[in-house]
Amino acid sequence: MKKLRKWSRILHRDIGFFFIGATIIYGLSGIALNHMSDWNPNYSIDIDEFVTDIKLDKAGITDEKVLKLLDEVDNRKNYKKYYFPQEPYLKIFLKGGSTVYVNTKTGNGEKETLRKRAVFYQVNYLHYNPDAWWMWFSDIFAGALIFLAITSLFMVRGKKGAWGRGGIYTALGIIIPLIFLFFL
Amino acid sequence: MTMIKKLLTIVAIAALFASCTGEGGSKENSETSLSETIQTEIPVIALHEFDAKAGDFVDKEVYVEGIVDHVCKHGGKKLLLVSDEGDVHVESDTRFKDELVGSEVVITGLVTEFRVDESYCLKMEEDNIKSHSEGETDDELFDRKIAQIEYYRDSMNTAGVDHLSYYSLEYVSHVEKK
Repeated sequence: MKKLRKWSRILHRDIGFFFIGATIIYGLSGIALNHMSDWNPNYSIDIDEFVTDIKLDKAGITDEKVLKLLDEVDNRKNYKKYYFPQEPYLKIFLKGGSTVYVNTKTGNGEKETLRKRAVFYQVNYLHYNPDAWWMWFSDIFAGALIFLAITSLFMVRGKKGAWGRGGIYTALGIIIPLIFLFFL
Repeated sequence: MTMIKKLLTIVAIAALFASCTGEGGSKENSETSLSETIQTEIPVIALHEFDAKAGDFVDKEVYVEGIVDHVCKHGGKKLLLVSDEGDVHVESDTRFKDELVGSEVVITGLVTEFRVDESYCLKMEEDNIKSHSEGETDDELFDRKIAQIEYYRDSMNTAGVDHLSYYSLEYVSHVEKK
């Protein structure tokens, strides 16, 4: 038992240190993605309305007219492509994922500017397993979390250990998810 | 101090290893060159003809050209390819880059068919009632699904067919047009 306790502490400590980064990545992205119905966790979105006099109807559309509009509402250097999703609407794609919509009949339009959220964009990107290597790393991390949970049972003895206060916390941590599972 | 030096050396070696394997190991959908991709034996389907012609190419590779309207925000494994006259959903096992949005691309993909028939409608109806009665779905979603089922049945009746086919593409590769 003494040997088990000793190795539990050593491995819990060292593996814990190693996975501090991954824990923060999954913790932050977990919170961000839990609240997807309340916000866009990857981008902040600004919408600016405008009115234009430029004639952008499908029959007379040219790249130059689109660029002229971008001079008014954004920057022509950001131009990528345009198309008409349905009459009379024109959608212009800009670099960085931003878009411009124009009602070509009325001239009313909206510019939707996307900005990547610092830190959240990157941690969410990793959360969605972008790569086979990352998938293996995150599997190892998940296994390590189980290992950390098990070793924590053997790390401390006495009234603060698994047979004392630690045991009560462990039981609570198991009961709470079960309550959600069966009663909520 | 020696300990910190050792630690920094380990971090530096790990970073070097990561930088060496980063490109080759990545499974994110990356662009291939036009000459690599375009093969004359693979048919090209214009987006406005996709729904009409896709039935002849189920499980076969085709080229489809269009503008990437959006990449799915939940995981990035789906995208919508559009033109003035039509659109098609493209699905992949790996992620699409966000930067593809607004780009004109030629996608090589396998045509897949999703069939909606009466048994599908009955199953959908059954699941809808069950999930609503168990409180898993709200009234709004319940009504929306009923309307969807009605739409499927009306469409089949109007067209005089026993099923509806919805076609999409399973991603193989893409080329970005400059």
